[in-house]
Amino acid sequence: MKHEITVTVNGTKHTAEVESRALLVHFIRDVLNLTGTHIGCDTSQCGACTLLLNGQAVKSCTILAAQVDGKEITTIEGLATDGNLHPVQEGFWQEHGLQCGFCTPGMIMSSVDLLGRIPNPDEQQIRHNLEGNLCRCTGYQNIVKSVQFASKKMSGAAGDD
Amino acid sequence: MTATSIIGTAIARTDSAEKVHGQTRYAADLTAPGLLHARLTTAYQAHANITNIDTSAALKVPGVKAIYTGKDLLPDGPEPASRPMAMLARDKVVFYGQPVAIVLGETEEAAEEAAGLIQVDYEPLGVNVDPIASTGKDATPIRSRDIDAGEGEGEAHATVSGGAEMDVSDLGPNVTDAVAFKRGDVEKGFSEADVIVERTYRSHSVHQGYIEPQAMMVVPDPVGHLTIYTPTQGQFFVRNMVANALGLEHNDITVVPMEVGGGFGGKTCLLQPLVAATAKRVKLPVKLVLSRMEEFLLTTPAPGTVIEIKSGAKKDGTITAIRVRGVFDSGAYPASPTNVATLISGGYYRCANLDLEGVEVITNKPGVGAYRAPGSPQATFAIDQNIDEMARKLEWDPLEFRIHNISVEGDPQPNEEPWPAIGAKEVLEALRTHPLYTNKPTGPGEGIGIAVGGWPGGVEPCAAHLRLNTDGTVNLSLGSMDISGTNTTMAMIAADTFGVPMDQIRLTTANTDSAPYAGMSGGSKVTYTMGIAVQAAAEEARQQVMAIASAELEASPDDLEMIDGVVQVKGSPDASLTLSQIATMSMSFGGKYIPVSGNGKSAVQDKAPGFSAQLAHVHVDEDTGEVELKHLVVAQDVGKALNPAMVEGQIMGGAVQGVGWGLYEGLIYDDNGQPLNPNLMDYTLPKLDQTPTLEIILVEKTSKAGPYGAKGVGEPPVVPTAAAIANAISDATNGARVSEIPMTSQIVLEAIQKRDS
Repeated sequence: MKHEITVTVNGTKHTAEVESRALLVHFIRDVLNLTGTHIGCDTSQCGACTLLLNGQAVKSCTILAAQVDGKEITTIEGLATDGNLHPVQEGFWQEHGLQCGFCTPGMIMSSVDLLGRIPNPDEQQIRHNLEGNLCRCTGYQNIVKSVQFASKKMSGAAGDD
Repeated sequence: MTATSIIGTAIARTDSAEKVHGQTRYAADLTAPGLLHARLTTAYQAHANITNIDTSAALKVPGVKAIYTGKDLLPDGPEPASRPMAMLARDKVVFYGQPVAIVLGETEEAAEEAAGLIQVDYEPLGVNVDPIASTGKDATPIRSRDIDAGEGEGEAHATVSGGAEMDVSDLGPNVTDAVAFKRGDVEKGFSEADVIVERTYRSHSVHQGYIEPQAMMVVPDPVGHLTIYTPTQGQFFVRNMVANALGLEHNDITVVPMEVGGGFGGKTCLLQPLVAATAKRVKLPVKLVLSRMEEFLLTTPAPGTVIEIKSGAKKDGTITAIRVRGVFDSGAYPASPTNVATLISGGYYRCANLDLEGVEVITNKPGVGAYRAPGSPQATFAIDQNIDEMARKLEWDPLEFRIHNISVEGDPQPNEEPWPAIGAKEVLEALRTHPLYTNKPTGPGEGIGIAVGGWPGGVEPCAAHLRLNTDGTVNLSLGSMDISGTNTTMAMIAADTFGVPMDQIRLTTANTDSAPYAGMSGGSKVTYTMGIAVQAAAEEARQQVMAIASAELEASPDDLEMIDGVVQVKGSPDASLTLSQIATMSMSFGGKYIPVSGNGKSAVQDKAPGFSAQLAHVHVDEDTGEVELKHLVVAQDVGKALNPAMVEGQIMGGAVQGVGWGLYEGLIYDDNGQPLNPNLMDYTLPKLDQTPTLEIILVEKTSKAGPYGAKGVGEPPVVPTAAAIANAISDATNGARVSEIPMTSQIVLEAIQKRDS
């Protein structure tokens, strides 16, 4: 069975017909060609497919495309605005929070969500809130530093640092 | 030279921008006109004859284009004993999850549905799961022993000359290799010892755990040339394997190496020949992306091991004898790092009497492959826990006991080759003054542990090409895959040697048609060997630039200097030429100079083994057996840290993989050879909240041959972690010895109970 959905992705409205069983991650990758959202496992453990749905981080392999009708999605490709990096992107770059880069988009989207909820997380909060995203290259320490970098920068911009 | 050398400064990866934007292309992102999607039918028996394959129902699924079985791809001759060459099982399956058929469909869904409808009938055979039982003479033979599998992949990452090959003909039918290193008289050594420590250490098979599943797309052209897009650590290796499997020449195939989304030894060549064979038949592009379950079922994990160690030492701290009996579970294909692991298991410490034997056995499990320092974490978990126990029994401080006995330059390895300038002693000494060591944590359940471990290091000839463009920018072309930030370091070396700012250099990982030769990116050898080739290429191009400038400026090359892309007569900035001007004179119609184009080659022979010593702080709950790893200090000899950001990143990633070995990871098989945890729900990769804070101490004892004295960095940090954690657990529990990894709470609890009995 097919469903017609209208969804805003990275600020652009798309209308499409999707199969009932189609996962959001396949819609994003195969229909919209936004391949920065990755697939790393079949069981929602790795978090490589994480994106923002109405501002909240979700694993797009656990959501059906048919469920996102009328909603707003931000993927890694839409995070920078007007060519300016999001502070989390800057953090992963400056603090060497990435190596092979495969987990990076999902890790960044989860971090954006985290800093929206907890602007100044301590190390334990960062580790706890990002435990749904796996990275095999970095040993995580520089990812923690990347989030701390962004947190500092974002609170600085808000004038309370 | 640039005005100030950038070597030794922390520089972010040159691909950071594309990666934080999600713009890096991985093989799974690719498509092509007419693309077919492949799915596999895999065996649900671990050892069985195939009696029939019925594809009729599967062929009726709309959108299915073709189905191939083993008989289609390899009709005659014996089934190859090499995983990539065997492609599909034909007469019998030898492990659960082995591919028996491949379906090509217009959509992945169609192919998937059809793959599930293929009916395979089996006649079950005896299944070999336990490696020790599989060494027995009465074990069901998996295949005839005289079929040569070629060089084991695990072995290919280290360059160690072997111990004596032992005759395996009177051992069981599944024993495929046996090596021995002997020195002196161990019985005499044991009789001189005041203390003997004898224990058997076990490890399970673990997966490399890269987050990007294996993927490949093969595009045939109308005249039969194949272009293969795949993430691989060795593009020339893939090309050669596919050529061998399909009976093609090397130049019938182009391998385009895609970004490797984590490899760690696991992404070499596995299913590329199979997919290439099908693409060649249907004359259409074919793409295969593995699922995570397929990753666990049918790729090439690291071998499980059973290592028995008996050691003896005197009260004065002299180790008098080490005897090792190692069994390496190679899965269904002989490819385990028996030689390296056996050498490592008795090779770190000075000892007059050695009797080290390692046996490789095949079992009905997926054939093993390389994983970061193949064989070394398992061997080190055994030897460095044994040595720790020895030190405590002798009432020596475990760190001082190691420093007293550790091999230094000139001491013989078990193969009698002298150790080169290794930093094993220095990394141990670096822990001596650490506050965690000088001011040991006290309190119930608190403990610290030390271990040291290393990696012999690999070498392989390689080449590099550097070309100047007429706008003054530079192209550096390499055949080595960047799996660890090496491209950034290579660009730094080229910039430093050639004399331009780093942002002028564009590094391309070229394909097998255009790249200068490079071997597999593995064995901690890319920077160590390719760095030399890049230096040579940049130096040759620099000399060409200087020769042109010398002629044009009418000055001796000795009187010229190049600073930030401008060549000038020393002290006379007015007499100068830009690189763009020089390049244009060498690359324009009617030009009179040879194009500025430098070729660099290296065939480094000196090895530079790398060592890491680690200090772990744990808390153990004696009621539950639960271990909390609170802190991990990693001291590593890197020779010279060319880019400390990359070096520390490698070390941290490796050490956390060591944490996985120690506490979390292990593939579990039932008696029928079926894996019980082939997914990331039940197989635990360390998560953010399960990893300790890490502290890295870089020790720089320069190598003789590496660029700027650098040594390989990738392998050593994974090696001693599990042993350090085990030693910390023993310290925390008043001597409970955990002899099996992963050290789950159940296994730790058993060790505590054994201590009390």
